Amino acid sequence: MSEHVLIVMVEDDEGHARLIEKNIRRAGVSNEIRGFDNGTKAVEFLFGQDGSALINAGKPMLIMLDLNLPDMSGVDILRRVKENEHLKRTPVVVLTTTDDEREIKRCYDLGANVYITKPVNYESFANAIRQLGLFFSVIQVPAPA
Amino acid sequence: MSSIQTTAARARQSPGAQPTLLAIGFAVLIAISAASVWLAARSNDDSDMVVHTLEVQNRLSLILLNLRRAESAQRGFGITNQLSYLTEYRESAGNVPGVLESARSAVSDNPVQVDRLNQVAPLVAEKLEEMQRVLDLFEKGSATEAQQAIKAGAGRNLMEAIRQQILVMLNSERELLDIRRADSTRTNAYLMTATLIGSAIIVIIGAISLYLVQRTLRQREEARRAVEFSNDNLEKTIAERTADLRLANEEIQRFAYIVSHDLRSPLVNVMGFTSEIETIKKDTFEQLAALRKDDVEATKKDVEMSRDFDESLEFIKSSIGKMDRLINSILKLSREGTRTFHPEYVSMDGLVKSITDNVAHQAAEKDIEIIVESLPPLKSDRLALEQIFSNLVDNALKYTQPGRAGRIRVGGRNSQTQVIYEVEDNGRGIAAEDHDRIFDLFRRAGQQDQRGEGIGLAHVRALVRRLGGYMTLRSELGEGSTFIITLPRHMQETEGKAA
Repeated sequence: MSEHVLIVMVEDDEGHARLIEKNIRRAGVSNEIRGFDNGTKAVEFLFGQDGSALINAGKPMLIMLDLNLPDMSGVDILRRVKENEHLKRTPVVVLTTTDDEREIKRCYDLGANVYITKPVNYESFANAIRQLGLFFSVIQVPAPA
Repeated sequence: MSSIQTTAARARQSPGAQPTLLAIGFAVLIAISAASVWLAARSNDDSDMVVHTLEVQNRLSLILLNLRRAESAQRGFGITNQLSYLTEYRESAGNVPGVLESARSAVSDNPVQVDRLNQVAPLVAEKLEEMQRVLDLFEKGSATEAQQAIKAGAGRNLMEAIRQQILVMLNSERELLDIRRADSTRTNAYLMTATLIGSAIIVIIGAISLYLVQRTLRQREEARRAVEFSNDNLEKTIAERTADLRLANEEIQRFAYIVSHDLRSPLVNVMGFTSEIETIKKDTFEQLAALRKDDVEATKKDVEMSRDFDESLEFIKSSIGKMDRLINSILKLSREGTRTFHPEYVSMDGLVKSITDNVAHQAAEKDIEIIVESLPPLKSDRLALEQIFSNLVDNALKYTQPGRAGRIRVGGRNSQTQVIYEVEDNGRGIAAEDHDRIFDLFRRAGQQDQRGEGIGLAHVRALVRRLGGYMTLRSELGEGSTFIITLPRHMQETEGKAA
């Protein structure tokens, strides 16, 4: 993945954010990671003040999204991203504790690109994130229009 | 409820009056009919008597009439000497004894009249004799002698005596006739009155009956409405409570679901950073080892310290693992609780056979014999049944009594509307004080020498309940256990949603 791609991480749990970042770095991914610990801030960053996301038009990004946020559901953010003209091609990785099948299905239906359940077993967790890092290093993000 | 009961009770009581009324009505009808028949018969008798009286009067008059005809013919013959008068005289005089006899037979029922007629009879005979004597004088041509005889007035006196006597008889008969007419009228009046009174009684009874029937109908209608009303209310109450229960249940499910998710999140951190500490520790002690070089004493202390580190970290990690499994169990149970059941016809023979086939290898290894008897089929949720029976068979395989060849029996039978299945083993059994406990979540009984979180039986019991059945246990420590599952033969589509 090109160096200029920004990884936007929406994760309310600081510990999870730290562990995810650590393991992504271990996989050799050195892209900038912008973390948001609540939905409101993340939405403001993604869609701008006017909510149109014009400010991010053509900006190469990758979004990592937790579904259980304190102020809103990650599913709503996912829907808005995939419905937005400027953001709909941005890859979204849903990374959450929920392994409920209906939730997984709903996310893919809304256009999520990857859905990963955070395992409690740290070996599995670290492994999953590292593989995600590897995935990031080969993934192609749409170039600026 | 009390008003319904009293209304119903009244509705039940009141029909008692109606058969009584009906019986009275019939009795009155019969009485009227009997009276009518009797009175009609009497009326008939009365008419017969009237006819009889008229007949008697007629016959008595005939005596007079024939005597007068005979007398007048005799006089006619005396004046004209024509033979036709003679013939007429003979005919009329000839009639008299017959008429007298017929009058006698007519009054034979009345001794007074018979006596009177007996007094008339000699007078009549004397009169006939007198007339014959005068006629004989006329025939011989001695008209003067005949005239003398007539003038003497013996004939007339006789005739007058007869007439008087017969008039007495006629009057007497007329009196009888009047009495009988009056009787007949009275009888007819009685008949009329009886009929009228009877009819009135029947009309009254009919009216009362009608009123009673209507009252009963009204009461019944009231009772029906009351029952209907209470039924409606009952259904409403049940529906409300079912809805409440369903809501409460959904709440619990949601709660369990959220709790298990939210508990998992910090657990990921605890596990993650513990592993991070482990990595750091490893690096630290490697660096430390490089620094110690040949300091044997220090190295020995380092190794001990490292072991303490590892021990603590292991405890943390194993505890997290256990907690993770518990959370997963709650999650699994809460998911099972929200699954909708689909009742279908299930061949239990086939279902249990596939379960025992799966564990056949394991059973052979542990020297356990599994006997599956013929099992009655039922309509229920297949997946739930599979989980129930595989859990029970697994338990039976797991908790054996050491030193005894294992034996597991799965049997079943039909009852009225239910099917009863038994999973029996000769394993280590369950102490009486643990019989209830083992069905609780995360609770286990006996020696804790087997893997497990204490979720199996809690899950099984929850499933059995949701299928509309119940589960009991018969067990003695060291002897074996029998789990008895009673299920409805036809599970309803609605069951299993609320539970």
